[in-house]
Amino acid sequence: MNFTFTPEEEHLRTEVRAFLVEHFTDNVRAENAAGKRGEGWGEAIRDFFEKVNQKRWFAWSWPTEFGGGGGDRTAQFVIEEEFYRYTGITLGGGTGAPSILMFGTAAQKEEFVPRSIKREIIFCQGYSEPGCGTDLAGIRCRAKRVGDKYIITGQKIYTTNAQNATHIYLMVRTDPDSVRHRGLSILLVPMGMPGMTVRPLWTVQNDPPAPFGTTYGEERTNEVFFDDVEVPVSCLLGEEGGGWEVARRGLNLDRVGAWRYLISVMRDEDIVNWLHTEGELQDTLRDDPQVRDKVAEMWTEAEVCRLMTMRSISIEQNGGKFTYEGSAEKVFAPEHSVRATEAYSQILGPFAQLMQGSPDAIEKGIFAHNILGAYQSTINHGSVQVMRDQVARIGLGLPRAAK
Amino acid sequence: MDILLDDQEVQIREAAAEFLEGECTPALVRKVETDALQYSPELWSKFAENGWLQLCLSNKAGGEELPLPYLGLLFEVAGYHIAPIPLHATMVPAMIIDRHGSPEQIAMLQAVIAGDLIMSHAVAEQTGHWSIEAIALQGRIEGHELVLNGCKTFVGSYRASQQCMVIYRDVTAPDQLGVVLVPTGAKGLSSEALISMAKDGESNVRFDNVRVPLSARIGNTQSGNLIARELMDLSSVLYASMIAGAARRTLDMAVAHAKQREAFGQPIGAFQAIQHMCANMMNAIDGTTMLSREALWRMQENLPYQVNVAQAKSFGNEQCMMVVRSAQQIHGGMGFIRDFDLNLWYRRVGSWSLRGGTSAEHRKTIAAALIDQPGRVRIGSIPQR
Repeated sequence: MNFTFTPEEEHLRTEVRAFLVEHFTDNVRAENAAGKRGEGWGEAIRDFFEKVNQKRWFAWSWPTEFGGGGGDRTAQFVIEEEFYRYTGITLGGGTGAPSILMFGTAAQKEEFVPRSIKREIIFCQGYSEPGCGTDLAGIRCRAKRVGDKYIITGQKIYTTNAQNATHIYLMVRTDPDSVRHRGLSILLVPMGMPGMTVRPLWTVQNDPPAPFGTTYGEERTNEVFFDDVEVPVSCLLGEEGGGWEVARRGLNLDRVGAWRYLISVMRDEDIVNWLHTEGELQDTLRDDPQVRDKVAEMWTEAEVCRLMTMRSISIEQNGGKFTYEGSAEKVFAPEHSVRATEAYSQILGPFAQLMQGSPDAIEKGIFAHNILGAYQSTINHGSVQVMRDQVARIGLGLPRAAK
Repeated sequence: MDILLDDQEVQIREAAAEFLEGECTPALVRKVETDALQYSPELWSKFAENGWLQLCLSNKAGGEELPLPYLGLLFEVAGYHIAPIPLHATMVPAMIIDRHGSPEQIAMLQAVIAGDLIMSHAVAEQTGHWSIEAIALQGRIEGHELVLNGCKTFVGSYRASQQCMVIYRDVTAPDQLGVVLVPTGAKGLSSEALISMAKDGESNVRFDNVRVPLSARIGNTQSGNLIARELMDLSSVLYASMIAGAARRTLDMAVAHAKQREAFGQPIGAFQAIQHMCANMMNAIDGTTMLSREALWRMQENLPYQVNVAQAKSFGNEQCMMVVRSAQQIHGGMGFIRDFDLNLWYRRVGSWSLRGGTSAEHRKTIAAALIDQPGRVRIGSIPQR
């Protein structure tokens, strides 16, 4: 049992922070925001990514043969945490690469992993459909094998970052006669293939634009339509029909880690740091016993979020497998974020409804934007209801419901 | 950073669990509740014989000197089995003596290890508040003696104990607390047994001109406040460990019941309403467990820990009460029938969550650290003493 980072890891933290302060300038920040909006990546942000890549910080714990840092998972967490806190950028090569490392052929690893690390390849995640979300077994998007090609027909939704992605990590039904999760496969499909259409869906927390650090700050997600899109069979990741297992392992990686943790706890830091500032409202709230009690309660929950993240990182560092821990964390952290956001809003009163740009908005309106954003993380990447099912069934061995 | 248990930690925990699994039955817990002193001398002797009391005491005291988190693991297991022994009452003062006592006091720990010396510790007073400010028991130095006047409440296992570690306030220097070992047979002491939900031997204790030699004090005049605070923190966090262990047992009982009890044509454990309750219980227990382990680990490493203790106990109190109440809900009517065992755990978590500091009291400590100190805060590294 050991609850602190080593001096080397703390040194790395300092080094990362110093690097970011020096290189993630206002100009780079602005270009990053524009790039994320789909307006293209400017020279400054590309130069910044290249510098990060030289440090191998995008994928510190990945094998060096594919361009990773060959370091350990805990150190990668430290890097991820500092990056997200300062830049809002998530590391780790995104959705696709971890499972390509796990399930891909030698050629796929060679093709995708090094370029994912360099951000030349960016995956978006093609899981949800209009008819199914967390229950991926309901997938209907169809890929029909014809010779050495798949022909894809169907629709995906909530495909965040499709506007910037080079590839979609697509879950399709390859066996039309299959039911539930049998007969699903993962295809690695380049974006912009003939027959593909991307349409934006704009999220509620970004009108007006949300301030930096808003929980679930993604401004845009998408619908993606496939109208007889032809791709070579070499796009298949893992076995045909084995997509469920590939996705299941990959999804756990999305549900834990620095990003999930930080989007869940940053308001707890914000409220305390704001209470430290001078102002009439702060003065009235600082000594209010009810405010103090609630802030301490929420802070303690945030510490539990931290410990659950430490637990997940410890499991990964030791090369262990999650049983229920990833799902449990995906319940506690997002729900904490919602509880905390709503509690702080009640503390701040009508000021907490004011959005970025409004007179009298507190901290650029982050609490208002968070009211609109925090609950999204209880839905995305597996709803907390389904996560609880998994804790109960996998963690505690409770039976499935009768049909 | 690796917050999982290592092989040795798992081994020790499993050995303790195996021992109590064999020796501590619900029937024993029930029987002991009706005994005058509300603990089992036989189990206490066996517990000592098996070496559990010496686990974290230092080599110089005759112990094995394992780090403090092991004591937490032992308390989690003791809570899981609600062992009716004065483990908490004794080990808190024993650890304080080990860390701050004189050579003569440390020599007394041999008897603790052998199971021959039961101790208790007395903190709260008339208001029941768990705070430094609420301590009013007067200590006055007369020659080579300390004279104590006042009263202590909610003293666990007092009547079973031979020595009681008492926090008092120096009448000549009211900012100064002291910690002293008082033989429970001393003249001027009187006690009354309380009937708590846990039925585990709490008492109120009156001090009428109780005289002890100055050498019975722990530490010196300057260190009194720090030692008093450490005593309280250790007491609080080990209650959190026990609560987490006891709550985990009720989750196990609830899950076992939900798997076999059928309603509306299926096991009730197949209903999402039950499953989701169980998932919440799991997170509540895991949260309390991790918070308390971290607090003990920081204590061991000489890192600031007061806020961590406050977090463990404030979270554990409320969350584990939710756990045991949910276990009751899942058991339905039989849960509140006296002959059914679940209530043994429910009643203990009910009592333990109110001792060693309530959630509101501990959150005052957390809020003070967060709000009353300048500087930016960050989860995981709060400025604290």
